[in-house]
Amino acid sequence: MTASTAPKQTSITTHLGNGLKVIAIENPAADIVSARIFLPVGQGHETPENAGIFSLLTSLLTRGTAHRSSLDIAEAVEYVGASLGADSASDYSLVSIKTVSADFENIFTLATEILREPSFPQNEIELERKLTIQGLRSMQEQPFSVAYKCFREGMYGNHPYGFSSMGTEETIMAIQRDDLLEAHSQHFRPDNMVVVIVGRINPEKAIALVDNLLGNWETPKHPATAPRLPPVDSHAYRIVTPQETNQAFVIIGYLAASVKHPDFAALKLLSTHLGNGLSSRLFVELREKQGLAYDVSAFYPTRLGPSQFVSYIGTAPENTSVALDGLQSELRRLCEVPLTAHELQVAKNKMLGQLVSKLTDILLSYSAGTRFWD
Amino acid sequence: MSLAPDTSASNSSDSGQTNVPFPASVIPLDNGLTVIHQEIAATPVVVVDVWIKAGARYEPNAWTGMAHFLEHMVFKGSEQILPGMFDAAIENRGGLTNAATSHDYAHFYMTVAADDLPHALPYLADLLLHAAIPADEFVRERHVVIEEIHQSWDDPDWIGFQTLSEMIYGDHPYGRSVLGSPEVLRERSPEEMRQFHRAYYQPENMQVVITGGISLEHVLELVQTTFRAFPQRASYPAVELTSSPRLCTNPRNTLALPRLEHGRLVMAWLAPGIDDLASACGLDILATVLAEGRMSRLVRELREDRQWVDEIASSFSIQQDCSLFVLSAWLTPKHIQQVEQVICDRITSLATIPITTTELERAKRVLCNDYAFSMETPGQLAGLYGYYGTLAKPELSLAYPDYVRAYSTEQLMSLAEQYLSPNHCGTLALTPA
Repeated sequence: MTASTAPKQTSITTHLGNGLKVIAIENPAADIVSARIFLPVGQGHETPENAGIFSLLTSLLTRGTAHRSSLDIAEAVEYVGASLGADSASDYSLVSIKTVSADFENIFTLATEILREPSFPQNEIELERKLTIQGLRSMQEQPFSVAYKCFREGMYGNHPYGFSSMGTEETIMAIQRDDLLEAHSQHFRPDNMVVVIVGRINPEKAIALVDNLLGNWETPKHPATAPRLPPVDSHAYRIVTPQETNQAFVIIGYLAASVKHPDFAALKLLSTHLGNGLSSRLFVELREKQGLAYDVSAFYPTRLGPSQFVSYIGTAPENTSVALDGLQSELRRLCEVPLTAHELQVAKNKMLGQLVSKLTDILLSYSAGTRFWD
Repeated sequence: MSLAPDTSASNSSDSGQTNVPFPASVIPLDNGLTVIHQEIAATPVVVVDVWIKAGARYEPNAWTGMAHFLEHMVFKGSEQILPGMFDAAIENRGGLTNAATSHDYAHFYMTVAADDLPHALPYLADLLLHAAIPADEFVRERHVVIEEIHQSWDDPDWIGFQTLSEMIYGDHPYGRSVLGSPEVLRERSPEEMRQFHRAYYQPENMQVVITGGISLEHVLELVQTTFRAFPQRASYPAVELTSSPRLCTNPRNTLALPRLEHGRLVMAWLAPGIDDLASACGLDILATVLAEGRMSRLVRELREDRQWVDEIASSFSIQQDCSLFVLSAWLTPKHIQQVEQVICDRITSLATIPITTTELERAKRVLCNDYAFSMETPGQLAGLYGYYGTLAKPELSLAYPDYVRAYSTEQLMSLAEQYLSPNHCGTLALTPA
């Protein structure tokens, strides 16, 4: 499978006068239009003192603008059966909508309003603060989340990637309305923004709509701030956190190359070989041959800053050391024995095949991604 | 073999409600197998989704967990295919495969490049029809399934749902865990599993759904050459016949769990199964009115205004014998009693005061659009057709929006009166131990 066999689409990529990049792709297969608005701001712009601020900020975008209350916004979206959401991740923030074609213009207009003119009502801040803290606590119910939190903190320390994207109870309690307003005016700006629209919509009309709604947004005089990522000390750690659970989770991970590094693609292929799918090395060696686990896998997230090359396994507590040995020996083998030509080809096929299968999603995030990761 | 696509393909649903012609072809083969196909032009992939009436409901009591364990063992090969060969054959070419088991069905699916289907389909067919269930693999894979069970035991929401199912379904198989228990699985033998396989993996229980960039002619040719020579039928321990569950009481329990950071309150009502899809659709509307979206009654009152819950959600799932209407709240344990009271009051009022037309319109739009959003990809379509094909018939998959749109506020009121009594509901609270 190769990406070049994707369905034919008509698309336009352009920049508005204020620098905003727009990608419009016509895909008339269904009576649906999706749009995503990406901003290159996320955890990378946070400090240990305000960790979680962009997650809190984006969760508040749908909770009030200069012209509408939280319920007004919910009403506008729900009465046409659309979806409108906002979210923040390691390196970007995102507003996304999905509608039937006829409702697209209205809901996209609303999306640009929440993006440009959020009002951060005090009562809504308190509600989202409470929900965020409860969200942080409930992650402690899941053994994998407990293990991953320890792993992340051990690897990154005070680097922004060391925190949950929701921050900590302390930082969330400390964030004030003024902080949110300041972060919004500082980082939400058209010149580094990417809008992607896909669906049953004429691309020229889509571009005109974006120009009409966002074209008059003036770029601030001050330059956009790049993430300030402190260096990360890399040294070996072993952290053990006993929990009364039915399974033990073992995670082994390494600091790894950012998306800009020349080794990025090679590491993606290694991670795919190691943990992607029912025929991957970890699945075959530890699950199929030894029956150690139901859940065993690997991941290597795409990051602007120092990423992580991670493998993990969930196993019966009495098998913990066997599982640890198993993970270690497979990782060692990756370092010592080159992949065969066949293994390498399979890893490439897997990555490309899954790209085609998830075409719409990949189109949305990749198109925008090229902008951030240039 | 008679293909007769003219008699069975592209007929409109006979629900009498929908005017949309059914876009897929439904082809019954002579051996009893049903093929469902829809060509999606300009798609480079093909999805195969094989649905089998071989879910946990068909297990004898003493074999609980067998259907799901068998789903794992199917991937362990046949006489022709060694363990792991199938996974590698599909994934080596960039395809994906997996499977899932529920009470009503097991299904096995793969996504492959359109050109790879002739290579991939014979593997899947051979595994399904001629699963070898080797004894040594049986023992090894049992460890994996037991780890899957352990993982579910670490999930409080799973424990809550399973406990509530046991409370409301009584002796009906829906009350048993699909995963089974380690104790029961350790008692089972490979030969018993082969019996179960030979009894249920038969053509009349099977729907082969294929969607994507491939023609009907090609699909039929491939299916006919690969899905033949079904296993010789086996006898098996008879499944105790159970009537549809009825909830005449009001079971209520509180369970204290370790490591809990949230309390939970889960309330569930029994509803008609797939035989009465119209009523099921009406109850789906009520579930949306109550707790789907910030404008819904309970989200607005309990999370946004009173702030007694961190989250409240409704779910309505259609099953063969009966469906389940569920309200789940995540909350501080001290609010459990108050929230339960509010839910009971709001449920009661659905049966006495009609919902507003604005609420009805909102719910209809939300449900009909969600339905449209769930039919975008070949995989989603294949899943939808297979699911309805297994529970009733594939054409019924298109009836949903028409049933939803037809409802009036008065009809919903009588539906609530009939099915949503606070006196016939199961309630489970989870609190930190």
